[in-house]
Amino acid sequence: MHTALRYLLTGVLGLAVGVGAAVQSVRAGALGSNIQIGPWSTGLDFGTADASAKTRAVVALRGLLALPAKEARYYTAAVDDAGQPLDGRCRYRVAGGVIPGRWWSLTLYDREGYLVKNTANRFSVQSSDVVRYTPGVAADDQSERARAMRAIFAAEQRWAIQVAPTPPPASAQASWLPTGGIERFELTLRIYLPADEGRSNPPHAMMPSITKEGC
Amino acid sequence: MRRWLLPLVVGVIVAVAGYQFALAAAPRLLMRAAIARVGQGGMNRMTHGPLATDRARAIVRPSPDLAYSSCPFDLSGGPVRVQVAPAPSVYWSLSVFDSRTDTAFVRNNAEAGQQPIDIILARPGQAAAAGREVVRVNGDRGIALVRILVQDRSGFPAIDAARRRSSCAPI
Repeated sequence: MHTALRYLLTGVLGLAVGVGAAVQSVRAGALGSNIQIGPWSTGLDFGTADASAKTRAVVALRGLLALPAKEARYYTAAVDDAGQPLDGRCRYRVAGGVIPGRWWSLTLYDREGYLVKNTANRFSVQSSDVVRYTPGVAADDQSERARAMRAIFAAEQRWAIQVAPTPPPASAQASWLPTGGIERFELTLRIYLPADEGRSNPPHAMMPSITKEGC
Repeated sequence: MRRWLLPLVVGVIVAVAGYQFALAAAPRLLMRAAIARVGQGGMNRMTHGPLATDRARAIVRPSPDLAYSSCPFDLSGGPVRVQVAPAPSVYWSLSVFDSRTDTAFVRNNAEAGQQPIDIILARPGQAAAAGREVVRVNGDRGIALVRILVQDRSGFPAIDAARRRSSCAPI
């Protein structure tokens, strides 16, 4: 084979492999995959000139026009606490307490990053919407003890969101975030005006847990 | 076999260079595509989008809690003025993204003291109106984005009316 042809062949193949690997690596990259807190992944450098080429490319694909850390922090989960992929045909309990920021919301997306069609036309749950509860006290318990427990634990602000294809029973002490029954979904927790101007992340214990309750 | 050694080395070098080039080019290409999508209402003018639903496809991971107004800008013909009117909400902000998706400017309602935001977008070296707040942006094109928190969808009409006083136009 002619020498020039050999160079042309390996050059074209090399270019295809390089570009293909980049596309594959960006498509497979989770949003903010550089810091992991339990099932949640995040990054501190969205929308800044400091972002690495790969972070920048992944953010452009999965979270274009994301705000910098001091304005909002984004935490995305594609798996539950057990590391299993989030399945829209199953029921999950996302539960937590105080989230360090002015306001937060939990939004459900498909793998491409779009909102999911559902019968309730509900796509997110905000901090102002969540059902707060006192651990060990039923929602309809109006006894003296229940009232005292609620007063004692009010500052803890425990809350739970049921992420499921169908609404939870009224007694479940949970807000509902519909999955639309899709096979794979992702959750994004946005914390607006985060504490510490977004310079640090909440500890694992402060991040919401994601527990599969059944399918 | 030895005749393939150098071509293979070149192939590997091209692969590494192609990988880096593709990563570096991705944000610009995706930003260009986003500008084309949100710019359907025209460049250098503010467009007010409806609250995001499952039918929203202009940008990925839209927040359904936020009302977005966007101004895809093009500074090739000169600076562009962006004015944002306060909205009846606990949170609103203006952010400006350049052609590489970097944030050139961001200010929220608390930082603005609940007052209007009035800035001039200009390229480095481009003459801009004296006495005004000038934000220098790399590249000709980008997107200025207003986000307003909608805590209750029944409050959206009031927010929608307020945000229509915001504007974006060449000087």
